[in-house]
Amino acid sequence: MIERWALVSGLLGDLETYDLIQRDLKKTRGVTSLFILGDLIGPKRNCDALLDRLKNPHRSDLKPDCIYGWWEEQLLAERGFRGERKADALRLSQGEDAVSALLNTVNPSHLNWLASLQFGFIELDCALIHGSSSDVGDNLTSETSPLILLDRLTRLNVNRLFTARSTKQFHLELTGGGINSQVKDLNGKREQQQEVPKRSVIGIGAGAHYTIYDVGSDKTHFLTASSQTNTKGMGFV
Amino acid sequence: MNHAIISCLHANLPATEAVLNDIDRQGIDTITCLGDLVGYGPQPNEVVELIRKRDIATCQGCWDEDIIDGLNACECSYPSQLAERRGHLAHQWTDDQLTDENKSFLASLPTSLRRDRLLFVHGSPNSQHEYLLPDMDAFAALERVDTAGADILFCGHTHQPYVRELRDGSIRVRLQNADHDCDQGEELTLPMRKIVNAGSVGEPRHGSTNATYVIHNDATDEVEIKEVPYDVGRTCQAIVEAGLPKVFAWRLSHGFEFAEQAEDASHVCER
Repeated sequence: MIERWALVSGLLGDLETYDLIQRDLKKTRGVTSLFILGDLIGPKRNCDALLDRLKNPHRSDLKPDCIYGWWEEQLLAERGFRGERKADALRLSQGEDAVSALLNTVNPSHLNWLASLQFGFIELDCALIHGSSSDVGDNLTSETSPLILLDRLTRLNVNRLFTARSTKQFHLELTGGGINSQVKDLNGKREQQQEVPKRSVIGIGAGAHYTIYDVGSDKTHFLTASSQTNTKGMGFV
Repeated sequence: MNHAIISCLHANLPATEAVLNDIDRQGIDTITCLGDLVGYGPQPNEVVELIRKRDIATCQGCWDEDIIDGLNACECSYPSQLAERRGHLAHQWTDDQLTDENKSFLASLPTSLRRDRLLFVHGSPNSQHEYLLPDMDAFAALERVDTAGADILFCGHTHQPYVRELRDGSIRVRLQNADHDCDQGEELTLPMRKIVNAGSVGEPRHGSTNATYVIHNDATDEVEIKEVPYDVGRTCQAIVEAGLPKVFAWRLSHGFEFAEQAEDASHVCER
């Protein structure tokens, strides 16, 4: 049986885009799970309608499993859900107005639900996280040092890390290599060799740009909502 | 030039005095301390004052941080609830004993020190609570040194001294992206880096009761691990007399932590 996951992020309150993605998924064979890797909300539009839909899916919707992202982290911190921390990262990068704008886009009735979202999912041998095992704001791209990518995979001991923070779509495979090390202590010296495990980091995109992961074949397909050219090309329609 | 690196003094004055005397005998006048001046041991004020008097460059350890900021580590930093209770007891006792002046000194310590290509930290560049064990994943170990922009990373925290050289590394990658939908393969050659763990002056856990520290020659990059015997019985007696958990004295008199080794020592407290 075909098993495919749809991976979405960065909707930023955009219900219309979410609707387009849901329509696409209805036409795609074998999609069994929809994972939304954070940034459900953003500062530029009211997010209540999207949050209502995610919490109460339409009967025909593929039911979403959501985690929190960078924007949720900022909102929850500013609203007192993160101890003494506030939305410092947002304040530092975009100023006080951006913090105020974010607070105004989400009705407080949604806060408890947002606060209940997890940092990430481990499915099979895959980690699904907004940023990385290091931080929700960890911005991994195809340009990030492979040493750092390998570290983020190693911290969770997974073979694939699906990440969304960069908003980019990419599939970077670690295909080989190794390292030698020598440890000297009071008992003497010992040599160690270690090979690079075959692992991948996948950037899933944001907004209308989403990813289908074929679990059986380990293939990723980068799609754009309602993009007929792409979906036909991938043989999904 | 030779310089000495000491770590994890843990309020053990006889051990600290013995190590400093050993360093002095060799004519080494540059000493760097990687923190944990207090905790577990019975002479926190005396050890802090000795480091202050000698004006030894020091970075903050996890115990130094916790004494200032309150207990920062969650229970998952301890291998058992019993170990956690003992740790909390030692924390409370140390907090009661330390003078305000010595607490201010601990609060003023930086989390890292840097001299050119040498970086000095307590645990890792990421956290004072992270353990860099000698057999940890080699790529992760290299990442800690390289991302911090250092050639040699000096750390402590594990109480086990070692020198680890990471070399001849490479990673091959293949990229597929949305724009081009094509494969691009390339190979990254990794730099050679070194991790030097100074062990522990005041609470060794390498299987011997001797205090340990390291000497690094910054011209040749050679590292020597030094062991220094001291009057362990004197410290053990002071632990018992202070009312601290007797297991701390037992541990000190055996040089290892048999019952309380963390299963996941690389775990970093996120709280």
